[in-house]
Amino acid sequence: MGEDLSGAMASVTLRVGDLAGEWDRTGLIPLDLLRELGAEGRLCAEVPEQYGGWGLSSTHSGAYTAHVGGLCSSLRSVMTSQGMAAWTIQRLGTAEQSAVHLPRLTGGGLAAVGFSEPGAGSDLAAMTTTIRRDGDAVVVDGHKKWVTAAHYADLLVIVGRFEDGAVAVVVPADTPGVRIERIADPLGCRAAGHADVHLDGVRLPADSVLGGHGLPPALLVTTALAYGRMSVAWGCVGILRACLAAATAHAAGREQFGRPLAEHQLVAGHLADLYTAEQVAARVCEHASRCWDEGSPDQVVATVLAKHVSATQAARGAATAVQVLASAGSRDGHAVARAYRDAKLMEIIEGSNELCRLMLAQHALSAQGAP
Amino acid sequence: MTTADTPNTHDLEKELLGFLEGRTGTAWDADTDLFDAGGLSSLFAMQVVVHLEKTYAIAVRGADLRLDNFRTVRRMAELVDRLRVAAAGGRHG
Repeated sequence: MGEDLSGAMASVTLRVGDLAGEWDRTGLIPLDLLRELGAEGRLCAEVPEQYGGWGLSSTHSGAYTAHVGGLCSSLRSVMTSQGMAAWTIQRLGTAEQSAVHLPRLTGGGLAAVGFSEPGAGSDLAAMTTTIRRDGDAVVVDGHKKWVTAAHYADLLVIVGRFEDGAVAVVVPADTPGVRIERIADPLGCRAAGHADVHLDGVRLPADSVLGGHGLPPALLVTTALAYGRMSVAWGCVGILRACLAAATAHAAGREQFGRPLAEHQLVAGHLADLYTAEQVAARVCEHASRCWDEGSPDQVVATVLAKHVSATQAARGAATAVQVLASAGSRDGHAVARAYRDAKLMEIIEGSNELCRLMLAQHALSAQGAP
Repeated sequence: MTTADTPNTHDLEKELLGFLEGRTGTAWDADTDLFDAGGLSSLFAMQVVVHLEKTYAIAVRGADLRLDNFRTVRRMAELVDRLRVAAAGGRHG
Protein backbone atom coordinates (compact mmCIF):
# COMPACT_ATOMS: atom_id res chain seq x y z
CA MET A 1 0.00 0.00 0.00
CA GLY A 2 2.90 2.39 0.73
CA GLU A 3 4.02 2.34 -2.91
CA ASP A 4 0.44 2.66 -4.12
CA LEU A 5 -0.22 5.60 -1.80
CA SER A 6 2.89 7.57 -2.72
CA GLY A 7 2.26 6.82 -6.41
CA ALA A 8 -1.29 8.11 -6.10
CA MET A 9 -0.04 11.26 -4.35
CA ALA A 10 2.50 11.93 -7.09
CA SER A 11 -0.15 11.33 -9.72
CA VAL A 12 -2.68 13.75 -8.26
CA THR A 13 0.07 16.36 -7.77
CA LEU A 14 0.84 16.16 -11.48
CA ARG A 15 -2.79 16.34 -12.49
CA VAL A 16 -3.57 19.35 -10.30
CA GLY A 17 -0.30 20.98 -11.39
CA ASP A 18 -0.52 24.74 -11.02
CA LEU A 19 -4.23 24.85 -11.87
CA ALA A 20 -5.77 25.15 -8.38
CA GLY A 21 -5.65 28.95 -8.55
CA GLU A 22 -7.42 28.97 -11.91
CA TRP A 23 -10.10 26.56 -10.64
CA ASP A 24 -10.57 28.90 -7.69
CA ARG A 25 -11.07 31.89 -9.97
CA THR A 26 -13.36 30.12 -12.46
CA GLY A 27 -15.21 28.12 -9.79
CA LEU A 28 -14.88 24.83 -11.67
CA ILE A 29 -12.74 21.71 -11.55
CA PRO A 30 -12.71 19.91 -14.93
CA LEU A 31 -15.36 17.19 -14.80
CA ASP A 32 -13.08 14.76 -16.66
CA LEU A 33 -10.51 14.98 -13.87
CA LEU A 34 -13.15 14.27 -11.20
CA ARG A 35 -14.44 11.27 -13.15
CA GLU A 36 -10.92 9.92 -13.70
CA LEU A 37 -10.04 10.19 -10.02
CA GLY A 38 -13.42 8.69 -9.15
CA ALA A 39 -12.92 5.72 -11.47
CA GLU A 40 -9.57 5.06 -9.77
CA GLY A 41 -11.37 4.95 -6.41
CA ARG A 42 -9.41 8.00 -5.25
CA LEU A 43 -12.40 10.16 -4.29
CA CYS A 44 -13.65 7.75 -1.61
CA ALA A 45 -10.46 6.00 -0.61
CA GLU A 46 -11.85 3.92 2.25
CA VAL A 47 -14.45 1.98 0.26
CA PRO A 48 -13.51 -1.72 0.56
CA GLU A 49 -11.93 -3.49 -2.41
CA GLN A 50 -14.95 -5.82 -2.70
CA TYR A 51 -16.91 -2.80 -3.98
CA GLY A 52 -14.17 -1.73 -6.37
CA GLY A 53 -12.70 0.69 -3.82
CA TRP A 54 -9.12 1.53 -2.86
CA GLY A 55 -9.66 0.00 0.59
CA LEU A 56 -7.41 2.37 2.53
CA SER A 57 -7.30 2.52 6.33
CA SER A 58 -8.35 5.78 7.95
CA THR A 59 -4.67 6.60 8.58
CA HIS A 60 -3.66 6.14 4.92
CA SER A 61 -6.80 7.80 3.65
CA GLY A 62 -6.02 10.73 5.96
CA ALA A 63 -2.51 11.05 4.53
CA TYR A 64 -3.95 11.14 1.00
CA THR A 65 -6.67 13.60 2.02
CA ALA A 66 -4.10 15.95 3.60
CA HIS A 67 -2.00 15.71 0.44
CA VAL A 68 -4.92 16.71 -1.79
CA GLY A 69 -5.99 19.35 0.74
CA GLY A 70 -2.56 20.95 0.41
CA LEU A 71 -3.00 21.15 -3.37
CA CYS A 72 -6.62 22.26 -3.67
CA SER A 73 -9.30 22.44 -0.97
CA SER A 74 -12.05 22.44 -3.60
CA LEU A 75 -10.92 19.05 -4.89
CA ARG A 76 -10.54 17.84 -1.31
CA SER A 77 -14.11 19.02 -0.60
CA VAL A 78 -15.40 16.96 -3.53
CA MET A 79 -13.55 13.98 -1.99
CA THR A 80 -15.15 14.71 1.38
CA SER A 81 -18.62 14.63 -0.20
CA GLN A 82 -17.96 11.49 -2.20
CA GLY A 83 -16.43 9.72 0.80
CA MET A 84 -19.26 10.76 3.08
CA ALA A 85 -21.85 9.52 0.56
CA ALA A 86 -20.06 6.17 0.32
CA TRP A 87 -19.70 5.90 4.09
CA THR A 88 -23.39 6.72 4.62
CA ILE A 89 -24.45 4.06 2.11
CA GLN A 90 -22.08 1.51 3.66
CA ARG A 91 -23.08 2.28 7.23
CA LEU A 92 -26.82 2.87 6.93
CA GLY A 93 -27.64 0.77 3.90
CA THR A 94 -28.16 -2.97 3.62
CA ALA A 95 -25.51 -5.23 2.08
CA GLU A 96 -27.57 -5.23 -1.13
CA GLN A 97 -27.68 -1.43 -1.23
CA SER A 98 -23.90 -1.25 -0.76
CA ALA A 99 -23.44 -3.75 -3.58
CA VAL A 100 -25.62 -1.64 -5.90
CA HIS A 101 -24.41 1.88 -5.10
CA LEU A 102 -20.77 1.69 -3.97
CA PRO A 103 -19.39 0.39 -7.28
CA ARG A 104 -20.92 3.44 -8.95
CA LEU A 105 -18.96 5.70 -6.58
CA THR A 106 -15.72 3.89 -7.34
CA GLY A 107 -16.51 3.73 -11.05
CA GLY A 108 -16.54 7.41 -12.00
CA GLY A 109 -19.96 8.42 -10.66
CA LEU A 110 -19.98 11.50 -8.41
CA ALA A 111 -22.03 12.00 -5.25
CA ALA A 112 -23.07 14.63 -2.72
CA VAL A 113 -24.86 14.51 0.64
CA GLY A 114 -27.63 16.97 1.59
CA PHE A 115 -28.24 17.77 5.28
CA SER A 116 -28.78 21.52 5.81
CA GLU A 117 -32.01 23.31 5.00
CA PRO A 118 -33.06 26.96 4.97
CA GLY A 119 -34.56 26.58 8.46
CA ALA A 120 -32.44 23.69 9.74
CA GLY A 121 -28.69 24.15 9.88
CA SER A 122 -27.32 22.92 13.17
CA ASP A 123 -30.88 22.44 14.49
CA LEU A 124 -31.71 19.16 12.80
CA ALA A 125 -34.96 18.75 14.71
CA ALA A 126 -36.27 21.54 12.46
CA MET A 127 -35.63 19.51 9.28
CA THR A 128 -38.69 19.61 6.99
CA THR A 129 -37.65 17.46 4.01
CA THR A 130 -40.02 14.50 3.95
CA ILE A 131 -39.73 11.03 2.49
CA ARG A 132 -43.07 9.20 2.43
CA ARG A 133 -44.25 5.84 1.17
CA ASP A 134 -46.61 5.79 -1.78
CA GLY A 135 -47.46 2.26 -2.88
CA ASP A 136 -44.21 0.51 -3.81
CA ALA A 137 -42.41 3.85 -4.15
CA VAL A 138 -41.27 6.71 -1.92
CA VAL A 139 -41.75 10.41 -2.63
CA VAL A 140 -39.24 13.08 -1.53
CA ASP A 141 -40.12 16.74 -1.01
CA GLY A 142 -37.81 19.39 0.39
CA HIS A 143 -35.04 21.93 -0.07
CA LYS A 144 -31.41 21.30 0.88
CA LYS A 145 -28.92 24.15 1.15
CA TRP A 146 -25.18 24.38 0.54
CA VAL A 147 -24.77 20.82 -0.69
CA THR A 148 -21.05 20.52 -1.45
CA ALA A 149 -20.29 18.95 -4.86
CA ALA A 150 -23.99 18.81 -5.82
CA HIS A 151 -23.19 20.72 -9.01
CA TYR A 152 -21.07 17.76 -10.19
CA ALA A 153 -23.12 14.95 -8.64
CA ASP A 154 -24.81 12.04 -10.39
CA LEU A 155 -26.17 10.71 -7.09
CA LEU A 156 -27.52 12.70 -4.15
CA VAL A 157 -27.82 11.22 -0.67
CA ILE A 158 -30.62 13.22 0.94
CA VAL A 159 -31.54 13.15 4.63
CA GLY A 160 -35.19 13.63 5.53
CA ARG A 161 -38.02 12.71 7.86
CA PHE A 162 -39.45 9.23 7.34
CA GLU A 163 -42.18 7.60 9.42
CA ASP A 164 -41.19 7.96 13.09
CA GLY A 165 -37.58 9.04 12.46
CA ALA A 166 -35.17 10.11 9.75
CA VAL A 167 -33.50 8.28 6.88
CA ALA A 168 -31.06 8.91 4.06
CA VAL A 169 -32.34 8.23 0.57
CA VAL A 170 -30.31 7.79 -2.63
CA VAL A 171 -31.60 10.10 -5.39
CA PRO A 172 -30.19 10.02 -8.94
CA ALA A 173 -29.64 13.69 -9.81
CA ASP A 174 -31.52 13.32 -13.09
CA THR A 175 -34.76 12.12 -11.45
CA PRO A 176 -37.76 14.27 -12.45
CA GLY A 177 -38.48 16.84 -9.73
CA VAL A 178 -34.80 17.37 -8.77
CA ARG A 179 -33.46 20.87 -9.43
CA ILE A 180 -29.84 21.77 -8.60
CA GLU A 181 -29.07 25.46 -8.32
CA ARG A 182 -25.43 26.49 -8.14
CA ILE A 183 -24.41 28.87 -5.33
CA ALA A 184 -22.69 31.87 -6.91
CA ASP A 185 -19.37 33.10 -5.49
CA PRO A 186 -18.95 31.09 -2.27
CA LEU A 187 -16.36 32.53 0.15
CA GLY A 188 -14.10 29.50 -0.05
CA CYS A 189 -13.62 26.12 -1.77
CA ARG A 190 -15.00 28.01 -4.74
CA ALA A 191 -14.71 25.12 -7.18
CA ALA A 192 -16.30 22.55 -4.87
CA GLY A 193 -19.65 22.82 -6.67
CA HIS A 194 -21.80 24.03 -3.76
CA ALA A 195 -25.46 24.10 -4.73
CA ASP A 196 -28.98 24.25 -3.35
CA VAL A 197 -31.03 21.16 -4.13
CA HIS A 198 -34.79 21.44 -4.63
CA LEU A 199 -36.81 18.20 -4.46
CA ASP A 200 -40.37 18.47 -5.64
CA GLY A 201 -42.46 15.27 -5.62
CA VAL A 202 -39.39 13.18 -6.44
CA ARG A 203 -40.58 9.59 -6.91
CA LEU A 204 -38.14 6.73 -6.27
CA PRO A 205 -38.23 2.96 -5.76
CA ALA A 206 -38.76 2.11 -2.08
CA ASP A 207 -35.36 0.41 -1.91
CA SER A 208 -33.75 3.85 -2.35
CA VAL A 209 -34.27 4.33 1.41
CA LEU A 210 -31.00 3.30 3.07
CA GLY A 211 -31.69 0.58 5.65
CA GLY A 212 -35.43 0.89 5.11
CA HIS A 213 -36.28 2.11 8.63
CA GLY A 214 -36.29 5.47 10.40
CA LEU A 215 -33.46 6.32 12.83
CA PRO A 216 -33.28 9.17 15.36
CA PRO A 217 -32.26 12.26 13.31
CA ALA A 218 -29.31 13.10 15.57
CA LEU A 219 -27.92 9.56 15.42
CA LEU A 220 -28.35 9.41 11.65
CA VAL A 221 -26.62 12.71 11.01
CA THR A 222 -23.83 12.15 13.55
CA THR A 223 -23.12 8.81 11.90
CA ALA A 224 -23.06 10.22 8.38
CA LEU A 225 -20.98 13.26 9.37
CA ALA A 226 -18.32 11.23 11.16
CA TYR A 227 -16.55 10.46 7.89
CA GLY A 228 -16.91 14.04 6.67
CA ARG A 229 -15.42 15.38 9.88
CA MET A 230 -12.34 13.19 9.52
CA SER A 231 -11.96 14.24 5.91
CA VAL A 232 -12.25 17.95 6.74
CA ALA A 233 -9.82 17.54 9.65
CA TRP A 234 -7.16 15.94 7.43
CA GLY A 235 -7.87 18.45 4.68
CA CYS A 236 -7.06 21.22 7.17
CA VAL A 237 -3.72 19.54 7.91
CA GLY A 238 -3.04 19.89 4.18
CA ILE A 239 -4.01 23.57 4.25
CA LEU A 240 -1.55 24.12 7.10
CA ARG A 241 1.25 22.28 5.28
CA ALA A 242 0.72 24.40 2.17
CA CYS A 243 0.71 27.58 4.28
CA LEU A 244 3.84 26.56 6.16
CA ALA A 245 5.67 25.80 2.92
CA ALA A 246 4.64 29.12 1.34
CA ALA A 247 5.48 31.16 4.45
CA THR A 248 8.91 29.61 5.07
CA ALA A 249 9.89 29.93 1.39
CA HIS A 250 8.87 33.57 1.35
CA ALA A 251 10.47 34.44 4.68
CA ALA A 252 13.75 32.76 3.71
CA GLY A 253 13.87 34.36 0.26
CA ARG A 254 12.76 37.95 0.74
CA GLU A 255 15.01 40.54 2.35
CA GLN A 256 13.97 43.65 4.25
CA PHE A 257 16.20 45.98 6.27
CA GLY A 258 19.24 44.13 4.88
CA ARG A 259 18.39 40.57 5.97
CA PRO A 260 15.90 37.80 5.22
CA LEU A 261 12.43 38.22 6.70
CA ALA A 262 12.95 34.99 8.66
CA GLU A 263 15.70 36.68 10.68
CA HIS A 264 13.29 39.29 11.95
CA GLN A 265 12.04 37.88 15.21
CA LEU A 266 8.42 38.88 14.80
CA VAL A 267 8.29 37.08 11.45
CA ALA A 268 10.13 34.06 12.88
CA GLY A 269 7.44 33.94 15.55
CA HIS A 270 4.79 33.56 12.83
CA LEU A 271 6.74 30.66 11.32
CA ALA A 272 6.96 28.94 14.70
CA ASP A 273 3.20 29.40 15.19
CA LEU A 274 2.48 27.91 11.76
CA TYR A 275 4.74 24.94 12.39
CA THR A 276 3.09 24.38 15.76
CA ALA A 277 -0.39 24.56 14.23
CA GLU A 278 0.51 22.00 11.56
CA GLN A 279 2.03 19.62 14.11
CA VAL A 280 -0.88 19.91 16.55
CA ALA A 281 -3.48 19.33 13.83
CA ALA A 282 -1.55 16.38 12.37
CA ARG A 283 -1.16 14.67 15.77
CA VAL A 284 -4.82 15.01 16.70
CA CYS A 285 -5.86 13.65 13.27
CA GLU A 286 -3.43 10.74 13.54
CA HIS A 287 -4.87 9.88 16.93
CA ALA A 288 -8.45 9.93 15.61
CA SER A 289 -7.56 7.82 12.57
CA ARG A 290 -5.77 5.31 14.80
CA CYS A 291 -8.97 5.03 16.87
CA TRP A 292 -10.93 4.33 13.66
CA ASP A 293 -8.42 1.74 12.48
CA GLU A 294 -8.44 -0.01 15.85
CA GLY A 295 -12.23 0.09 16.09
CA SER A 296 -12.00 1.98 19.38
CA PRO A 297 -15.17 3.67 20.70
CA ASP A 298 -12.91 6.66 21.40
CA GLN A 299 -13.11 7.38 17.66
CA VAL A 300 -16.43 9.16 18.11
CA VAL A 301 -15.14 11.95 20.34
CA ALA A 302 -11.65 11.91 18.76
CA THR A 303 -13.30 12.69 15.41
CA VAL A 304 -15.08 15.78 16.75
CA LEU A 305 -11.88 16.88 18.49
CA ALA A 306 -9.81 16.41 15.32
CA LYS A 307 -12.29 18.38 13.21
CA HIS A 308 -12.47 21.21 15.70
CA VAL A 309 -8.73 21.48 16.40
CA SER A 310 -7.73 21.21 12.73
CA ALA A 311 -10.31 23.70 11.49
CA THR A 312 -9.45 26.33 14.09
CA GLN A 313 -5.70 25.82 13.62
CA ALA A 314 -6.08 26.05 9.84
CA ALA A 315 -8.13 29.26 10.01
CA ARG A 316 -5.59 30.90 12.31
CA GLY A 317 -2.60 29.43 10.46
CA ALA A 318 -3.85 30.61 7.06
CA ALA A 319 -4.33 34.13 8.42
CA THR A 320 -0.74 33.99 9.74
CA ALA A 321 0.55 32.84 6.34
CA VAL A 322 -1.18 35.75 4.58
CA GLN A 323 0.44 38.07 7.13
CA VAL A 324 3.91 36.68 6.36
CA LEU A 325 3.47 36.85 2.59
CA ALA A 326 1.66 40.18 2.81
CA SER A 327 1.08 41.70 -0.62
CA ALA A 328 2.69 38.67 -2.33
CA GLY A 329 -0.16 36.46 -1.08
CA SER A 330 -2.99 38.93 -1.23
CA ARG A 331 -4.71 38.13 -4.46
CA ASP A 332 -7.35 35.58 -5.39
CA GLY A 333 -5.97 32.32 -6.60
CA HIS A 334 -2.70 32.52 -4.60
CA ALA A 335 -2.19 29.49 -2.38
CA VAL A 336 -2.34 31.40 0.91
CA ALA A 337 -5.24 33.62 -0.19
CA ARG A 338 -7.19 30.49 -1.11
CA ALA A 339 -6.18 28.88 2.18
CA TYR A 340 -7.40 31.93 4.10
CA ARG A 341 -10.88 31.75 2.54
CA ASP A 342 -11.08 27.94 2.40
CA ALA A 343 -9.99 27.45 6.02
CA LYS A 344 -12.61 29.87 7.29
CA LEU A 345 -15.33 27.70 5.74
CA MET A 346 -13.87 24.67 7.53
CA GLU A 347 -14.83 26.31 10.84
CA ILE A 348 -18.44 26.28 9.65
CA ILE A 349 -19.13 23.05 7.75
CA GLU A 350 -19.63 19.51 9.16
CA GLY A 351 -20.37 20.97 12.60
CA SER A 352 -19.45 24.57 13.36
CA ASN A 353 -16.84 25.48 15.97
CA GLU A 354 -19.69 26.22 18.36
CA LEU A 355 -21.41 22.85 17.86
CA CYS A 356 -18.12 20.99 18.19
CA ARG A 357 -17.44 22.77 21.47
CA LEU A 358 -20.92 21.88 22.75
CA MET A 359 -20.33 18.22 21.91
CA LEU A 360 -16.90 18.25 23.54
CA ALA A 361 -18.32 19.92 26.66
CA GLN A 362 -21.12 17.34 26.82
CA HIS A 363 -18.55 14.58 26.55
CA ALA A 364 -16.37 16.13 29.25
CA LEU A 365 -19.37 16.33 31.57
CA SER A 366 -20.67 12.81 30.94
CA ALA A 367 -17.20 11.28 31.29
CA GLN A 368 -17.14 12.76 34.80
CA GLY A 369 -20.46 11.13 35.74
CA ALA A 370 -22.57 14.23 35.17
CA PRO A 371 -24.68 13.37 32.10
CA MET B 1 -38.15 -18.20 26.33
CA THR B 2 -35.76 -16.01 24.44
CA THR B 3 -32.01 -16.20 24.59
CA ALA B 4 -32.11 -13.33 27.10
CA ASP B 5 -32.06 -15.86 29.95
CA THR B 6 -29.00 -17.82 28.91
CA PRO B 7 -25.80 -17.44 30.99
CA ASN B 8 -24.09 -16.19 27.87
CA THR B 9 -26.43 -13.20 27.72
CA HIS B 10 -25.95 -12.55 31.42
CA ASP B 11 -22.18 -12.26 30.91
CA LEU B 12 -22.80 -9.95 28.00
CA GLU B 13 -24.97 -7.68 30.14
CA LYS B 14 -22.29 -7.61 32.83
CA GLU B 15 -19.62 -6.63 30.35
CA LEU B 16 -21.82 -3.90 28.88
CA LEU B 17 -22.70 -2.51 32.30
CA GLY B 18 -18.97 -2.36 33.05
CA PHE B 19 -18.31 -0.51 29.79
CA LEU B 20 -21.06 2.01 30.53
CA GLU B 21 -19.89 2.60 34.07
CA GLY B 22 -16.33 3.10 32.88
CA ARG B 23 -17.43 5.64 30.27
CA THR B 24 -19.97 7.59 32.32
CA GLY B 25 -18.72 7.28 35.88
CA THR B 26 -22.22 6.08 36.84
CA ALA B 27 -23.61 2.63 37.67
CA TRP B 28 -26.58 1.58 35.49
CA ASP B 29 -29.22 -1.18 35.61
CA ALA B 30 -29.76 -3.50 32.70
CA ASP B 31 -33.30 -2.11 32.32
CA THR B 32 -32.60 1.62 32.61
CA ASP B 33 -33.48 3.65 29.52
CA LEU B 34 -30.07 5.18 28.90
CA PHE B 35 -31.15 7.84 26.44
CA ASP B 36 -34.44 9.06 27.90
CA ALA B 37 -34.04 8.65 31.67
CA GLY B 38 -30.24 8.41 31.47
CA GLY B 39 -29.87 11.49 29.30
CA LEU B 40 -27.03 10.06 27.22
CA SER B 41 -26.35 11.66 23.82
CA SER B 42 -26.38 10.36 20.26
CA LEU B 43 -22.61 10.81 20.32
CA PHE B 44 -22.56 8.34 23.20
CA ALA B 45 -24.88 6.00 21.30
CA MET B 46 -22.28 5.88 18.53
CA GLN B 47 -19.58 4.98 21.03
CA VAL B 48 -21.75 2.10 22.17
CA VAL B 49 -22.24 0.94 18.57
CA VAL B 50 -18.49 0.94 17.91
CA HIS B 51 -17.82 -0.85 21.20
CA LEU B 52 -20.30 -3.62 20.37
CA GLU B 53 -18.82 -4.05 16.90
CA LYS B 54 -15.26 -4.24 18.15
CA THR B 55 -15.89 -6.40 21.22
CA TYR B 56 -18.27 -8.92 19.65
CA ALA B 57 -16.99 -8.92 16.06
CA ILE B 58 -20.36 -7.93 14.64
CA ALA B 59 -21.42 -5.27 12.15
CA VAL B 60 -24.32 -3.06 13.21
CA ARG B 61 -25.73 -1.69 9.96
CA GLY B 62 -28.88 -0.26 8.46
CA ALA B 63 -32.06 -0.78 10.43
CA ASP B 64 -30.15 -2.44 13.31
CA LEU B 65 -28.94 1.06 14.23
CA ARG B 66 -32.46 1.86 15.54
CA LEU B 67 -32.14 3.48 18.96
CA ASP B 68 -34.59 0.91 20.36
CA ASN B 69 -31.80 -1.65 20.07
CA PHE B 70 -29.60 0.46 22.37
CA ARG B 71 -32.16 1.85 24.76
CA THR B 72 -31.21 -0.52 27.59
CA VAL B 73 -28.36 -2.89 28.26
CA ARG B 74 -30.80 -5.79 27.96
CA ARG B 75 -31.76 -4.70 24.44
CA MET B 76 -28.12 -4.33 23.46
CA ALA B 77 -27.37 -7.85 24.66
CA GLU B 78 -30.30 -9.17 22.61
CA LEU B 79 -29.00 -7.34 19.55
CA VAL B 80 -25.51 -8.77 20.00
CA ASP B 81 -26.94 -12.27 20.40
CA ARG B 82 -28.97 -11.92 17.25
CA LEU B 83 -26.14 -10.47 15.16
CA ARG B 84 -23.61 -13.04 16.40
CA VAL B 85 -25.91 -15.81 15.18
CA ALA B 86 -26.31 -13.99 11.87
CA ALA B 87 -22.54 -13.50 11.53
CA ALA B 88 -21.83 -17.16 12.29
CA GLY B 89 -24.50 -18.21 9.77
CA GLY B 90 -23.02 -15.84 7.20
CA ARG B 91 -19.53 -17.27 7.55
CA HIS B 92 -20.73 -20.80 6.95
CA GLY B 93 -23.23 -19.81 4.29
